[in-house]
Order: sequence, then structure tokens, then C-alpha cells
Amino acid sequence: MPEPHLEPSETTPPAAMIRLHSWIPAIRDRAKSERFRPWLYGLILLFALAFPYIDGNEGDIDSAANALAYAMLALGLNIVVGFAGLLDLGYAAFFAIGAYTYGAFSSYQMQPEWSSFWVPLQWLGLVQHLTPDGGIGTVHFAVSFWLMIPVSALVAACFGVVFGAPTLRLKGDYLAIVTLGFGEIVPIVARNWPYVTNGAQGLSGVTTPKLFGYDFSVLSTPYYYLGLVMIVFLIFVSTRLKHSRIGRAWLAIREDEIAAEAMGVNRTRLKLLAFAIGASFAGSTGTFFVAKLQTASPEMFMFPVSVMLLVMIVLGGIGSVAGVVVGALVLQLLQSWFLQDLTQWIHALGNLTGIVFLQQLDLVQSIELIFGIILVFMMLYRRQGIIPERAAVTALSYDEQNAMPSRRSIEARLAPLHRRTIDPSKPILEIKDLAKSFGGIHAVAGIDLSVMPGTIVGIIGPNGSGKTTFFNLITGLTDPDRGKILLEGEDITGLKPHRVVEKGIARTFQNLRLFSNMTVLENALVGTHTRTSTGAIGAVLRLPRTRREETAARDRALEILRIFGNRLIPRVQHLAHSLSYANRRRLEIARALVSEPVVVLLDEPTAGMNPTETLELSDQIRSLRDRGVTVLMIEHKLAVVNEIADKVVVLDHGEKIAEGTPKEIHSNKEVLRAYLGRTTDAIAEAATAS
Amino acid sequence: MTAWDVFLQQVINGVSLGAMYSLLALGFTMVYGIIELINFAHFNVFMMGSFFALWALQAMGFVGQSHILYGLPLAGVLLLALLATMLGSGVLGVAIERFTLRPLRGVRGTAPMITTIGLSFILYNIILLGAGADSKNYANPLPNTAWMISGGATLRLREVLLWVVSLLLMLGLHYFVRFTKMGKAMQATAQDQEAARMVGIDVDKVVVITFFLGSALAGAAGLIFGLYYNYTSYIIGYQAGLRAFTAAVLGGIGNIPGAMLGGVIIGLIESLGGQYIAVRWTDVIIFSLLVLVLVFRPTGLIGRAAPTRS
Repeated sequence: MPEPHLEPSETTPPAAMIRLHSWIPAIRDRAKSERFRPWLYGLILLFALAFPYIDGNEGDIDSAANALAYAMLALGLNIVVGFAGLLDLGYAAFFAIGAYTYGAFSSYQMQPEWSSFWVPLQWLGLVQHLTPDGGIGTVHFAVSFWLMIPVSALVAACFGVVFGAPTLRLKGDYLAIVTLGFGEIVPIVARNWPYVTNGAQGLSGVTTPKLFGYDFSVLSTPYYYLGLVMIVFLIFVSTRLKHSRIGRAWLAIREDEIAAEAMGVNRTRLKLLAFAIGASFAGSTGTFFVAKLQTASPEMFMFPVSVMLLVMIVLGGIGSVAGVVVGALVLQLLQSWFLQDLTQWIHALGNLTGIVFLQQLDLVQSIELIFGIILVFMMLYRRQGIIPERAAVTALSYDEQNAMPSRRSIEARLAPLHRRTIDPSKPILEIKDLAKSFGGIHAVAGIDLSVMPGTIVGIIGPNGSGKTTFFNLITGLTDPDRGKILLEGEDITGLKPHRVVEKGIARTFQNLRLFSNMTVLENALVGTHTRTSTGAIGAVLRLPRTRREETAARDRALEILRIFGNRLIPRVQHLAHSLSYANRRRLEIARALVSEPVVVLLDEPTAGMNPTETLELSDQIRSLRDRGVTVLMIEHKLAVVNEIADKVVVLDHGEKIAEGTPKEIHSNKEVLRAYLGRTTDAIAEAATAS
Repeated sequence: MTAWDVFLQQVINGVSLGAMYSLLALGFTMVYGIIELINFAHFNVFMMGSFFALWALQAMGFVGQSHILYGLPLAGVLLLALLATMLGSGVLGVAIERFTLRPLRGVRGTAPMITTIGLSFILYNIILLGAGADSKNYANPLPNTAWMISGGATLRLREVLLWVVSLLLMLGLHYFVRFTKMGKAMQATAQDQEAARMVGIDVDKVVVITFFLGSALAGAAGLIFGLYYNYTSYIIGYQAGLRAFTAAVLGGIGNIPGAMLGGVIIGLIESLGGQYIAVRWTDVIIFSLLVLVLVFRPTGLIGRAAPTRS
């Protein structure tokens, strides 16, 4: 048995590592194609700024301002649906909340009687004292539009959390239905609460924004420019979030919730964050929209609006920031410009030919039919949308595949796999009387196990003997009925999976749970989630600290991916689902190692690999041990276990029937019985007969 | 009318509504049971059904309440209209499955459900553009026969008919699912599609039959809606559909007897809630119930398959 390396190695990443990006063809090509992006965006922005002067038609500018508002909503919905994968069918509710928050606090709708309570608010300029006919007078809410933009965002975000919380345990379609329910409830409440909302007639006389004495009034141009500023800001926020620790965690949840949690993502917190941020976009947009219209009524926020927003992001590309903006603008402008013009042409044609049907056809009314057709068509033929979230990556050439010949054990100059100092004399992982039953089946029936640091423990046993349940119990995916799990003497029983990763145990899954629509690099980066700390605000600001953290995380991820030689490194920009089976297994191991675990649990790491690949991986697992990581490994290939395991544990019917060195296990009669299903006598007989 | 009579009357109304919701809920539940899909198109298959029935009755020469029939002729006309409607909406359901949902079978995530939302919009707008936005006076051969019971409450012939027809359809479905070969194949497919395929069940055929039956029942509910309320319109699908869906969830989605029970409960909530709370809050009550059941008891009142899946 080689001497385990328990002290963190002193080697630091070589300078070459930092410039690692430059020689990876996929990254290099991408950088080339992105060089023209700023120019493209600059041109678009220039056009958008000049638009009111180019067009000059008040009606067109108004339509464009409305289109910008819907694009803002689509961006918010995209955070929830596109990034976090939570299909929200009641998103218009947050739009309503933002709209009424501003509408109610900046109109003559609520007029409570004046009292001294309001005096401080009057000083702050939030309310005015109205005394039309002497007497006590009433309160007039006159909160500034500019203050209400962030306030509405905050109010909507709170409702996002409130409406999001009940859906946390639900998935897919059911989550959609619950959000639909909330989406229905909000407009009904608005209709039935006339004191605040003026009921079905709607609010009227909402105050228009003023900037340095300039009143926006009912002009379209100032709203257009304000909308432009807001959308540029929201695009910026969306993009920054997407390419951050937070965005990666959302995508991970979207792709596979359980795997995300097992990689250290706190899914409760991140889902609520997605609901809150998504809702906040709608909240400020609601304020903008109501200020522009100076009215708000419940009909503006019903189910068809939520569906329209969904159509926008489906058309543009779910998860793609540029896509949803384009989708929203295309649909809005189609509705307000193109269809109107087309209707007029058709009417003219009808008058010319005398066909009554053509004279009466109103295409603007059929917009919902077009929405329906777009939804069905996109789902059937182009689910990724017009501008897909991911650009296609070309497959590697033969030369690129063979660029880095090193495939054997980990290079010595690799940085330490984790930064902890571990006492080599005490067991790192202790399991005491761990048990779990499902119905009447004792999947794990009281297992005791003690694992010394820097060892490889092979866990074998027939199918259904409880091996995977055992792993699920250790990693917190399943709660045990009884028993204790101690990591370095600290009780970690019953911790949530993401906390277990934080403590230093990472795992892979028997039936592969990669984030299929994320790249190899992003998959690995999710592993850094627990070792990094950037929050949503940090991600948007991207201060130097965040940049440093991000660079360090990338270097770390690339370094770990390098363990597998040229298997993964040339493919870092490829989507995980495009990898070969063996490479997917390797990526899962890499993803687990990136989280700096002291113990890794590998569930059948060599399944589906050919003999050469199996040997290669065995070698790599051994080097993990040599570099101070303790390995627990479920494995059916006994040759692998015999070769690399320091200790073998045999499970049968949820119980530990044997434990020892591979050699001891070979001659254990219990094990032979469990595996071969014969009585020991029969085996002995067979042995003597031969 | 005494308070008791008011209550009794609302129970009669509630059970009638409930019977209609049950028929509609069955379609949601059957489709979910087989392919785990929430079918939003079902809302407007129901709405189309009420139009199919209207057109069938108009084709037989009925306009408004021009001809009132009694006895056997009435039964004959209604049966004919019912069969035509069920056939029409059944075929519509099969077409939806065959051309838009089958290509998406096996696609992960919410794509199939989003497709059904699109389909629902398409059906809704076809009727809006084709038949106009005004609500249509129904062609109704039913007499206004009613019986006074217990003082003030009345029981009308159309209510009795509605109960009988719904009950017969549900018993028929129950018999079909429990005792026929195809029904057993449906049960097997609902339990485990792969295993069903392996023992030689034609899963595609099972799915088609499921859509046909569910949509045919929605069509029947459409006919009943028209005769009961004496009108139809392009907008009836959404509200009734969502209530029926709530009924299916309440009974435990995928569970056929549960859908029937859930329908009656929703019908009673609608009529009694409208009477004793306020009509304008009925929807809030029903949607709150939907949310509460999904969150706290996702298997429904009777329960079977949990609606959460990864």
C-alpha cells in the first residue's frame, strides 16, 4: 500500500495553467467569434437611440415603448422559466402587483382622513394634505415615480417569494398549475378590492413621472427613452447573473435538481431567489407601464398576458437573453405595426374585389391564434427558439482529440485536491447502526463502518443489497430511520445534501446525473458552488473580488478536468449530453472533485467502460487516494476492487456481511454464498471434487 | 323560500354543475394517468364540444327553443346529438394527440404541456374568428318541466337528465376500464408503460383510445353545458376547464373515481360558496383549494400516484 499523502501538497498551479484557455481550440474559436459582438450591440443601441428621430410618428414610438415594456417582462420571466427551469404560468400577477403598487400610491384613489400620523410623510414629500373645503382634509398619496420603481420591484420580489414558497416541492407541470392559480387569484383580488384598485373600472389619473421639472405627461418619446434605459439595465443584469455562480446554480437546478443539490446548491434558496428576481423585473415594469398609461385595470393582467410572455420567450429561445428580447419585440411589433397594416391592405383588397369576408377580417384580433400556432410550431420543430441559448460547437478533429497524449495518473504538479489537514490516525468517516426501510423492505439494516483517511474502500454486493441507498443516506439525499454518520468526528446525520457537500463529501451517481445542457466546463464549475460565495448582487456588480473568485474557480475546474488528460479538456465547451458514456462518467467524477471533498463516493465509476478505460480510471482513482482523498466506491467489476481497494465491504440484504482486505473477502464463505447462492457445503464439495 | 329550501336548491344546482365538471375532469385524469401530461387543450375541446352539439341540433332543425319535445322523440334527438358530439370531439382529441403530442412523446420537461396551451389558444380563436364573439342562444328541445320539492326548491327535468346521462357515461367508462381487454391494457399502461409494451400492449393505440374517450366525455359535458345554461360561447372553456382540472386534482389526478367525487365537490363549492360567501370570491376559493391540495396533499383526497416527478 503506497503512503497516503495527507498533507496538502505544496505545489501551486503552474503559470501555464493560467493561460490554459488559449490552447483549447473551442475556447479560442469562441473568443474570435465574440470579438464582433460589442460592435453589433453598439450598432443596435445607436439605432434604438436614433429611432424616435428616424420614425417620428408618435403612434409608432408609443408602440415601441410598449414593446420595450413587454421585453422587460419577458426578461424577468426568462429568469424564472429559462434560467431556473420553473414554468410560471401566472407571471402577469407580478406585473399587476407592480402596476397597482405605483398606481395606488400615486393617484387620488386612496384618500384616508388626515391625521398627525401623516405629517412626517408629508415632510418626506410622500403624501400631500388636501383640504378642498376646509375641515380635517384628506391624504393624497404622491410618491415619486423614481422612488416607486425600486419599491415596486421590492414589493413584487416579496410576492415572488410568497407565491414561490409553496411550489418548492413541486415539479414541472404541477408547479405551473400552482403559479397559474396565483396568476388567477391576483386579478380577482384586484377586481374585488375597490378601495385600493377601483375594482373593474380600474385606476385612473395616475401621476406621470417628472424629471428635473420636465413632465413626461402623455408624450411617447420620454417613455421610450426611459424604457430603453430600463431594458439595457435589465439585459445587463440578466447577462451578468447568467454567467455567474448564481446563474450556473440555476441552470443546474433546471437540468437536474437532485444532482444540483448533491453538488452543493441550496435549491430552496436559489429557487426563491429566481422567483424574487424574476418578479422584481415585472414589478418595476408594472410601475413603468402604469405611469405610461396612467391607468390600470384587472384585465391587463389576466392569463392571456402570461401566455403571451411565454410565447415571447419560447419564440426567442428559452434561457437566451438576446433571444427573449428579440422574441418580445418581434411579437409586439408584429401585433401593433405589421398586423394593423396588413389588415388595412386586406380591407382595401376586399373593397376592390367586393369580398365581404376580406373587408371584415381583423388580423389584430387573431393575434392569439398566431400565439397558439407559434407555441405549437416552436415546440414541435424548434424548441431552442430563434436565437438558441447555446451556439453549436463543432466536433473535435482527429488531431485535436489526440493533442494531449497524457492519460495516465495525475501529474505531480497538480494543486492539492482539498485544503484540509486531516489527522491520519483517526477514522475520517464513521457510520454507526445506519438503517433505512422503504415500506417493509430493509434497504439498509443497521450498518457500522469505519473508514480511515487516505484509503479506498470498495463496496460490493448483489443487486438490491442496499449499496446505493447507503450512499444516499451518507450524502443526505435520503434521511435515515436511525443511526449516525460522523465526518472527522462531526455528526452530519440528517444534513441536507448541499450541507453535506460543504462538509466535504461529494459523490457521483450510478445512472449519471450530469447537467445535460450545460457545457463540460460549466458542469465542473457547479462543483465550486460551495467553495465560492458570490451572491446575486455580487454577480451583477462583478467587483474585483468576484472576478478573482471566478478566475480561481475556472482554473480549479480546468485543472481537475485535466486529471483525465485529453479526454475532457478539449471538449470543455461541449454540452455534457454530447459526450461519450465513459467521458460522462469522468465528468461526474471531476465535478465531484472540484468541490474539494475529503471523501468521495463513487457509484459504479467504471460501468460501461472498456477494459483499457477501466484500467486508466482505476489508476486515476488510486492517484486520488495518494493525493489525500478518501474514496468509497461501489463497484461490480471485482477485478477493479481487488486491484485498488485497501478494504472491501460486502453488503447483502442491507447488512454488512463481511469486511476486510480483498484477499480476506475472497475466502469468506458468507460472501460466496451471497454471490453464488450456494450453501458453503456445496461450495466445499465442488472444491473437493475438482 | 326558507333557509333550508335555499340550501337544498343550491345542493341541486351544485350536484348538476358537479356532474358536468366530473365528466370534464375524467378527460384530464385519464390522459394524466396514461402519459403524465396536463392537457390544456382539453379546456377547449369541451368548448368545441358544446359547439358541435349546437351545430348537430341546428342540423336537425332546432333553433332556440323552437321545438319542444317530450318522451321518446326527445330521448332520440338527445341521444343522436350526444353521439354526434362525442364522436366529433373524440376525433378532435385523437387528431390533437396524433399530430402534435405524439411527436413530443418522450421529450423531457414541459414542452408537451406548453404545446397543449398553444393548441388551446388555437381552438379558442378558431371559434372566436369563425363563429364570432357573441354568446350563442342554444338550440334546446328540452321542456321547462320542473317539480316543486320540499316547499320552495325546484328540481327541473334538465337536472334529472343531466344526472342520469352523466351517471350512465361514468358507469360505462368504469365498466370499460375495469372489464374490457382494452380497459385492462389502459390500466397496465398507466402503471408502467415500458412493461405494458413488453407484454405486447400497443401503447400508441391505448393513448389514442384514452384521448378519444376523454375528449368524447368532454364533448358530452359541452352538450350538457349548452342545454343546462341555454347558451354557449367561445370563452366557456377556460373557467369550466380550470374548475374541472381542480376537481381532478382534488380527487387525485390519475384516479377515475376521484375525478367524479372531485367534480361534485367543486360543483357544491361553486353553488354553496356563491350563495353563502359571494359569487365574486368563488374563483379565489376554488384556486386556493387547487393550490392548497397540490401543496399539502398532492395525491388528492383519495390519492394514488403522487404528481411530483423528476
